[in-house]
Amino acid sequence: MMNDPIQVFRTEASELFEQIESGLLDLLHDLSDRDQIDAVFRGLHTLKGSGAMFGFEGLASFTHHCETAFDQVRKGEVPATEALVSAILNAQDHMKALIESPGPHHDAQSERLLLTLNAALGGSSSASADGQIAIEGKAPSTKTGSTTWRLKIRLPKNAMANGTNPLGLLNELRGVGECEITADRTSFPDFLNLSPLDLHLAWDVTLTTERSRSEIEDVFMFVIDDMQLEIQELPMRSVPAGAVGDGSAPRPPQSVETVAAGKLTDTKSGSKAGDNVKVPAERLDELMDRVGELVIAQSRLSQLAASIGNGQLRDVSEDVDRLSGELRDTMMVLRMVPVGSLFSRFRRLVHDLSRETGKTIELQTDGESTEVDKTVIERLADPLVHLVRNAIDHGLEGPEERLRNGKSSTGIVSLSATQAGGEVVISIKDDGRGINRERVRAKGEAAGLVQPGAVMSDQELLQLIFKPGFSTAEKITNLSGRGVGMDVVRRTIDELRGTIDIRSEFGVGSEVNLRIPLTLAIIDGLLVRVGDSRYVIPLSAVEECLELSLEEDIRSRGRSFISLRDSLVPFLRLRDLFATGTEPELHQKCVIVSTGNERVGLVVDQIIGDHQTVIKSMSKLHSTADMFSGATILGDGGVALIMDVNQLVLRGQSKEALMRAAV
Amino acid sequence: MTSVLETSRPDPIWPEAQQIEALLFELNRETFALNAKVVQEILDVMPETRVPGSPSFVNSVINFRGKVIPLADIRIAFGMEPRESSIDSRFIVIEVDVSGEATLVGVKADKVHEVTALSRTDSEPTPSVGMRWRQDYIHCLVKRGSEFIIIPNLQAIFAHEERLSGNGISD
Amino acid sequence: MDAQILTVDDSASIRMTTKITLTNAGYQVTEAVDGLDGLNKAKAGNYDLIITDLNMPNMNGLQMIEALRQSGSNVGVPIIFLTTESDAELKTRAKAAGATGWITKPFNAESLVKIVQKVLGR
Repeated sequence: MMNDPIQVFRTEASELFEQIESGLLDLLHDLSDRDQIDAVFRGLHTLKGSGAMFGFEGLASFTHHCETAFDQVRKGEVPATEALVSAILNAQDHMKALIESPGPHHDAQSERLLLTLNAALGGSSSASADGQIAIEGKAPSTKTGSTTWRLKIRLPKNAMANGTNPLGLLNELRGVGECEITADRTSFPDFLNLSPLDLHLAWDVTLTTERSRSEIEDVFMFVIDDMQLEIQELPMRSVPAGAVGDGSAPRPPQSVETVAAGKLTDTKSGSKAGDNVKVPAERLDELMDRVGELVIAQSRLSQLAASIGNGQLRDVSEDVDRLSGELRDTMMVLRMVPVGSLFSRFRRLVHDLSRETGKTIELQTDGESTEVDKTVIERLADPLVHLVRNAIDHGLEGPEERLRNGKSSTGIVSLSATQAGGEVVISIKDDGRGINRERVRAKGEAAGLVQPGAVMSDQELLQLIFKPGFSTAEKITNLSGRGVGMDVVRRTIDELRGTIDIRSEFGVGSEVNLRIPLTLAIIDGLLVRVGDSRYVIPLSAVEECLELSLEEDIRSRGRSFISLRDSLVPFLRLRDLFATGTEPELHQKCVIVSTGNERVGLVVDQIIGDHQTVIKSMSKLHSTADMFSGATILGDGGVALIMDVNQLVLRGQSKEALMRAAV
Repeated sequence: MTSVLETSRPDPIWPEAQQIEALLFELNRETFALNAKVVQEILDVMPETRVPGSPSFVNSVINFRGKVIPLADIRIAFGMEPRESSIDSRFIVIEVDVSGEATLVGVKADKVHEVTALSRTDSEPTPSVGMRWRQDYIHCLVKRGSEFIIIPNLQAIFAHEERLSGNGISD
Repeated sequence: MDAQILTVDDSASIRMTTKITLTNAGYQVTEAVDGLDGLNKAKAGNYDLIITDLNMPNMNGLQMIEALRQSGSNVGVPIIFLTTESDAELKTRAKAAGATGWITKPFNAESLVKIVQKVLGR
């Protein structure tokens, strides 16, 4: 009987190799054999996990890539090909060598084999030889001085049935600091309805400790996603709130965090659970459609009332007009949810990333109660994950480096939301090393995004990190996700009709501000006519409107530039672009639109006026009609398409480039 | 939604039953049929809005009860001559699966006839030769009296025409 | 009496390390080699804690946890699963099946004992 786990692992590994090999050989006969795909995946998975356990790091990180490849096969993301199976077969011999004589002398071979593997995968996922395996470990606490926290703890009802011991958690909390615990029995059922396995109690705890918020949260690490946990920092007891001291202002309750994953309505501060009604989102969408129809029917009614000239009818029509307008406004409010529901997802992410990177991180959040349309929230989730990961992965330094630079060893990432007019501003900030402009520039030049020596503003330079092709050369670590570049962030924010603004100070930190319209459902637009059809141009993109006389139009033929004060702006004749087959009006108009820095003129036949409108999405059958971002229904029941200004500006620019080339 | 439009099943047009209820309509003097289950509504002709840059067989949208839905002219897919609408013209609104999404689509018809039972025993597979049209655009032909009724494979048409348009459109 | 722990893993080496670590820490350890074995042993005995791998032949960890929770045996026993990545989706699924917590592989003796103590409430 062997008593050395490493010896047991070697024996086990050779069995696993047999299992993997026979699976791979069977696959060569039948590439679609699911059982064998699963068996190979399982074998690689165990090999990686056990290898890492017993110190075979080289094996673990190398096998990780093979496992990832087979995971993609298993999920149907890439096909099992002969090339792939052969690549893994070859890699297997290397894995054996990594067990027999572990050490760095295999690195070159690992690199070569991974290149082959990558090629077999169609080059879609870039693997690197140094993929890290996370090591469990906790960073030391650095906070000094104790803080008093108020905790509201409500565990899921089935917590005890699933093996969580609430008393154990409270005891653990006592280990964190001085506790006053009171039980909240308000949701205790009467005796007949009492199920001994369900948890009906909640607790209020006042905790005084030197440890940080994340260490308090660690107590609940296994249940934090399913429970409601509010942790509120109390003002220092000795300093009365609002007192002005010796220059150090008293700390206000910094932020209230409500962790209630998947329960949007619960995060509304101050409202009792019983006051809320959960409504499936699609019913809200249906209701929104009905309200839209009502608004349209109403505008028909008011036209009719105006033409008939009956005073009584007009009065009724005006009442209905007001009511339907109010109804629509109320409807918009119903679709708003607090961004807290979005922020709460990041506790877990930051917690996990902290473990994976060995960086000590504190997540601060602010403005959770700021409300945004639910569709916007859903779309924002991915870009925010990417920005937070990026801040942690590239922004924050490790604890030692931070101490060397005179910073606290704990890095701070903060997420905040504020409302400004019709927009919400979401800010992701870190106190890390800041963006190295020279490196960005060098990388931009290497990727062909900037001409060497080109003059750029600081903002233009920083914005390079959001360009497609900028981040592709980066290695993919466990952290920065698979193949999701910062350009995806840019695209999503563009689709939300928002803007991105970056600030960064080298050595001090970076801040990314996303400005997003509060709602996607309504747009302020300029209604125009081109040929026989009407179109809406988003008002936020419109800079000005000019007259384009027929003579000017004829004169500009073949040039398609309009001179606007000191600059030449390319313009697009929408009549030609949309192939209307109609003659130009005598007095055409040119609407100048812009997306940040780029401008283009859109020549239309008539400007009808401002128009606030409900946006309707177009079906997938019209996905190729990319000049339009949606459609809307007009007062007379007709449909107007909403122009996608980004796309039109792009077309204007490519036209400009063509013209320049032709000159 | 309804299994009629799924092409993956061996014979989806005749699920369990030997008969289906079908809506018959006319395009350029040919009779077509759609499973009545997918038909949502039959509309009088209404103003359509052309969508520049869209595939020619769905080059416009209409307002269907507050929703903006595409309007398809399957004549284009079958290479038939387009026609101006007449007093008998109608839009048939159906629900069909487009890239995995249940989508409402209007289909132009020169004239809508009755809903009638079509029987499996009268159906014939599409002959592979001698057809004017793409074979995969037709589910089957059903013989009725001296004429053949065409049951189009809408899913194949939408999927394929959508792909064609992906490469074909430019300004 | 010493706490009784059932460990379920198809990897003999992981089983052995776990057993050595936990025995040294003063626990009684029973081993099972896959999900089905684990389920049968759990039903036949009375455990204070179950530690299981997820990716196993015959019956995977998720299926085992779900079956055990529904069986009415070992009611409310804490179940810890082993996972290689900090895979949020997998954690959600495991918790939905009735798991109590997790430990991330690779783990060392210290972190294993810490988690076990945490879940057993010391």
